Amino acid sequence: MTQQYAKIGEYTPVEAMVVYAARFLANFDGKKGLIGTGLPLVATQLAKMLYSPNMVVFVETGQADANPEELAISIMDSRLTYGSSWQMGDPEGLYPLSRNEIDFGFIGGAQIDKYGNVNSTFIGGDYNKPLKRLAGTAGAVDIGVFAKTTVILMAHQKRRVCEFVDYLTTPGWMVKKWPEGTLVRREELGMQGGPSCFISSMGICKFNDDDKIMYLDRYFPGITPEDVKANTGFDIDVSRATEADPILVDEIRILREEIDPLNIYKMR
Amino acid sequence: MSKVVSLQEAIQEVKDGDTLLFGGIVEDRRPIAAAMEIVRQGKKNLVLLGTCSQSGDILVGGGCVAAYRGCYSSNGAFGISPNIKRRAESGTIIIDDIGHLDLSIGLLALQAGVPFIASKTCIGTDVLNPAYDNLPKVAEVVGNKEMLPNKKYVLMEDPFFNMGTVQLIPAIKLDVCICHVQMAGEEGTVRIDGSLTFDHYGALGAKKVIITAEQVVPESYIRQDPNRNCIPCTSVDMVVEVPWGAHPGQVYNCYDMDIPFLLEYAKSCSTQEGFDQWADTWIFGCKGHEDYLDKLGASRLEKLRAFPPYGYVPRRKGGVR
Repeated sequence: MTQQYAKIGEYTPVEAMVVYAARFLANFDGKKGLIGTGLPLVATQLAKMLYSPNMVVFVETGQADANPEELAISIMDSRLTYGSSWQMGDPEGLYPLSRNEIDFGFIGGAQIDKYGNVNSTFIGGDYNKPLKRLAGTAGAVDIGVFAKTTVILMAHQKRRVCEFVDYLTTPGWMVKKWPEGTLVRREELGMQGGPSCFISSMGICKFNDDDKIMYLDRYFPGITPEDVKANTGFDIDVSRATEADPILVDEIRILREEIDPLNIYKMR
Repeated sequence: MSKVVSLQEAIQEVKDGDTLLFGGIVEDRRPIAAAMEIVRQGKKNLVLLGTCSQSGDILVGGGCVAAYRGCYSSNGAFGISPNIKRRAESGTIIIDDIGHLDLSIGLLALQAGVPFIASKTCIGTDVLNPAYDNLPKVAEVVGNKEMLPNKKYVLMEDPFFNMGTVQLIPAIKLDVCICHVQMAGEEGTVRIDGSLTFDHYGALGAKKVIITAEQVVPESYIRQDPNRNCIPCTSVDMVVEVPWGAHPGQVYNCYDMDIPFLLEYAKSCSTQEGFDQWADTWIFGCKGHEDYLDKLGASRLEKLRAFPPYGYVPRRKGGVR
């Protein structure tokens, strides 16, 4: 790769999000990750190629150490099977989580709140007659409960990045204690882990050490902290944020030509 | 003894109100031909367990499903399963969300013949929200009430290893499990390539098990290597040979997904009228599965045929588009 920077406008916000996520995964080289469906699969494919070749990929449909030669179209795609060390079923794909083997989980979603709780079940209206019904829990709940940390990937929009999720699918830092539904710190329920990072189409957000509320850590080139504030559904702290290193021409080229040449994920 | 029957005969054994698990997941190894036959035979009030992607969504569109208990209602890159999405948003289907590990562990309990297993699966989440617990509503429509637990879950403190609050997950019981696989012996021994998804759990515990297979082979042949087999003949009731039985989805080592067909489905089924038209063409407009294959045409199917050693159609060999 050459160190030539791509100009703003030469890539889409979604492509930027995927590239920064792939860079972030360098932190997990040599670690075991359980990768969720959608754009996390794309960022993982790019990361394995560029930044974390020794990352060990588990998938909830039962692959251990998956090494797909080409980008998977869904979370159970034959492309994930070929080249993996072991192919069993969904239970065996998920037990590494409950066995406490998984260093990080990597998921998308439809809504994230200031505590890093993620919603992939429904938005608006009522549970029994939602405005928008989504896919449901799948591995997202299990990853949030059991992985040693989670990384979340989602477009940054005011309605998506909110005060509190409409439905708590993936537990973040403040979760619900049943039967009352009282908000408590996750440790109080004996849960390890918790989200370390939310990578959006505008920047990278992390969580305060003390109150575990989300703050802006990096904003992408062409985006200002004020843009992030305007597109966030709660009063996000941007005072500590700095600009992220620019995107490389080669990162976009590889993403377009080698990872998703057919634009299956509609990133452009 | 041979258990080979026709698809029509096998699906006649599915009764209104049955709890049903389809094998496969998303668009991989889904029993689509079986789902279409269920719609053709006009089954009603089924309780769909597990997931609701391609095969389940066809049942929902066809008006066969009263309730769904599961963890994933999406066709992956092709969007949220359109029929269940529409029915959910109009409040005309009962949905009771559970977790993916809940499903695995619930089926493990079924397979092991135990009433429940403890884990932390959904602690802290809205899956345990009593206000969203629709199990009582599912119980109102299910045919056989013994298939459902008395409660969705029970919380307790782990008495053994001090793991804090754990969730007791009841067994997920099944009237019927229908799996589409690569190969079955005529007595019902099953061999699966690629992900086993939940097939190896569901088939061992369901009261009735229907296997549709790309290929039915002599039982003696599949028994030459029993370690490679995934479901024993002793758990299988009926075997049907249904080549291309998971189209438009994929079957590892056999064929890849038919992307234009999946896109067309996603587009058509955003309205009930759209689904009905789609069903008129592909379900009711076909006398059976052979007719469906004739309508698709050989050249269309040939383009999907998996390429050794990959088990799919790699992009360097043209790929699926």
